Amino acid sequence: MREFLATVREIRYDLQRNRIAWIDCPPGAIPQAGQYIQAWMMDDFSAPLASTLFPAQITERGFLTACPVPLIWEPRTRLELHGPNGRGFLLPGGTKRLALASFANTVARLMPLIRPALENEIALAIFSEVLPQEIPAEVEIYPLESLPELLTWPDVLILDLPVKSLSQLRHSLKLAPSDHLPCPAQALIYTCMPCTGLGSCGVCCVPAHRHWKMACQDGPVFDLNDLEW
Amino acid sequence: MVTKFDLVFSSSYMNATGMLGFVVNPRHTESARLGAFVTNPISLTRRKPARAPEVISFPGGFLLHTGHPNPGLRAAIQRYSDRWARMEIPVVVHLLCERINEVGSMIERIEKSHSLSAIEIGLPPHVTAATLPAFIQAANSELPLILQIPLERVSGMVEALEKINSNQILSAISLGPPRGILPASDERLVQGRLYGPAIFPQAIAAVRLLANLGIPVIGGGGVYSLSQAEMMMAAGARAVQFDTVLWRGHIPDQGGVLKFTPPV
Repeated sequence: MREFLATVREIRYDLQRNRIAWIDCPPGAIPQAGQYIQAWMMDDFSAPLASTLFPAQITERGFLTACPVPLIWEPRTRLELHGPNGRGFLLPGGTKRLALASFANTVARLMPLIRPALENEIALAIFSEVLPQEIPAEVEIYPLESLPELLTWPDVLILDLPVKSLSQLRHSLKLAPSDHLPCPAQALIYTCMPCTGLGSCGVCCVPAHRHWKMACQDGPVFDLNDLEW
Repeated sequence: MVTKFDLVFSSSYMNATGMLGFVVNPRHTESARLGAFVTNPISLTRRKPARAPEVISFPGGFLLHTGHPNPGLRAAIQRYSDRWARMEIPVVVHLLCERINEVGSMIERIEKSHSLSAIEIGLPPHVTAATLPAFIQAANSELPLILQIPLERVSGMVEALEKINSNQILSAISLGPPRGILPASDERLVQGRLYGPAIFPQAIAAVRLLANLGIPVIGGGGVYSLSQAEMMMAAGARAVQFDTVLWRGHIPDQGGVLKFTPPV
């Protein structure tokens, strides 16, 4: 596993009052959309668990975290990063209409998809129960509850889905048990991934057809067809 | 003279079960050596993940509830025995026994694999000090046998362990993580294994208790640095198992870090 040194450049609060951070790090350490990296405070050898970081914004110098960071982190805190890990989002070529839907309490993990989509002239809509911030004017924003009515609009659907929401997804999308989605869908299954795949500890198991998959190493982004939902 | 009860490892450090998978992940590319590799727990039949797995933090550690998903003994042997045989260090398979009457057949099957150096058996929750001798008798093996006892059950088992130790059936006792209960984010109470630096004082006390009785003990629990491992050895442990600190990839110490290896 690749290890990098990094520094907290800035601490800020998002609209939901989550304490997030800009991380300065080498380019090789920057997770791509949907990927994650494990962060430990340098010199804190008694931390029982890593902080799992997803990117919300990516620059050449580093990334803005999508998830809250520990209260002990301050600007100039030195970090040890392990990763990037896992399978991220992959926008299929030829995508014209992209729907990003978050069933979580943040849209931040989907945000790194916005700029590349707009650069490729892909029409973009976000479905969420929380208000995203710093969204370009070209992006349409809808409440999550309107997603079932607009499911035929996108040609690719991308979801941020806490693992506990997976079993209710069909109900949330108002799909009958035999119904299929009208377009391909990728889902970031958001769950704890403490072992990063090194231990196959099983905390992040996701139900798949006749088996299970582990978000830490098989995901965290899955083709929705590969999962049982 | 080395007997079948002797465990001989090139280093006193190994992983605890559940920390490095069924075979070591090739992404663990650093090159120090573990003295032995302990597999994730393997049950007689396939176990699915817990319906609602959880990681719940508390000051000094965290509770882990997973259900110990694994493919079952037959599938694990088919999948992994060739890779166990190719590993350069001794492999200790950890058996997750749920009933006394299945332990004998599990051991019989695993002994045929010829790629293992020892067996570690997790103590089933329903086995008490009174039924422990019968359980150990049923676990008769040609391979060295390590019994893993959760930390919080050690003191209640001491007399029974002393008697069993005098019969020379077990090669060592290893210390498993204590169990606890914490509320999840939805306020449901979740039972699970406890890990983290907060466990260390309880672990070292258990090591000393067993070692003072002459029971060979493999220490473990809350060991997050080499100096703590050395403290555990000084308290009487014959070897030390590292647990979740291995997920960081190295064991820190004041004099530097011990990089942990992928035994392949």
